[in-house]
Amino acid sequence: MAIKVGDRIPSAKVRHMTKDGPKEMTTDELFKGKKVAVFGLPGAFTRTCSGQHLPGFVQNADALKDKGINTIACVSVNDAFVMDAWGKSQNVADKVLMLADGNAEFTKALGLEIDRSDVGFGMRSQRYSMIVDDGVVKQLNLEKPGAFEISGAETLLKQL
Amino acid sequence: MTIKVGDKIPSVKIKHMTKDGVKDITTDEIFGGKKVALFALPGAFTPTCSAKHLPGFVQNAAQIKSKGVNTIACLSVNDAFVMDAWGKNQNVGENVLMLADGNAELTKALGLEMDGSGYGMGTRSRRYSMLVDNGVVTQLNVEKPGAFEVSNAETMLKQL
Repeated sequence: MAIKVGDRIPSAKVRHMTKDGPKEMTTDELFKGKKVAVFGLPGAFTRTCSGQHLPGFVQNADALKDKGINTIACVSVNDAFVMDAWGKSQNVADKVLMLADGNAEFTKALGLEIDRSDVGFGMRSQRYSMIVDDGVVKQLNLEKPGAFEISGAETLLKQL
Repeated sequence: MTIKVGDKIPSVKIKHMTKDGVKDITTDEIFGGKKVALFALPGAFTPTCSAKHLPGFVQNAAQIKSKGVNTIACLSVNDAFVMDAWGKNQNVGENVLMLADGNAELTKALGLEMDGSGYGMGTRSRRYSMLVDNGVVTQLNVEKPGAFEVSNAETMLKQL
């Protein structure tokens, strides 16, 4: 079942790239005591994700943080090497935490997975954004398949 | 069962990036009537793959082709967007055909998959190289887990 506003983020492990290589990160470390803007997308280096979704959050990072967001996190069912390479190619620096959900563990725990085997992607994440306050979902903007209308940084800014 | 020398490559459809976007490519199109040097690896943008395996084939591409190989192909369980971005990042140019086996269909059909879940990578390909002559495997160099000893371009050159 897909997560909804008011639900607590389930415990799951993801990965992120550090100076010492990929490291595990738990949802507790990510969300506990923090206000986090999370956006999930189908894949690193894909058109909409690279052309609009991620750049929007990079551009609006300061504005989001001004409104009380502690962390902006981008999640995709890609590994930590790909997420790191993508982040560098998009000049993300430390504005957006690039989270690798390579086993789709987090995405499935949220019930937001989608089978994209038809396009040679295997199991991926739906496109969405959410605001999570101390582990509880406060806003959730889940796109229809193929759409990019409500999960952008601008929409999330208005919801803060 | 794992493929072996003398076996025919099974018929599978995978993907690759073209000027017009992501397109299907069948194993028949890749291997039919051609001599192909195929190498596969666990993941785009990972350290061994980026620092040694792919660059070795890029550097030795002209020499390998001068020995009668029509196509040099790199296969990984990544999607076509990631394979394309990685190829550009590694200045592959026309030297190596970057093949995306995002659903692991070809990798599983060859019996060369491995479980990379422990590294947050899901199902991936083992590291190997093979020579395929008109669809039939004539050389096969499969690495032990974690090794990079027998699947490099230099070894393949000697086998031609």
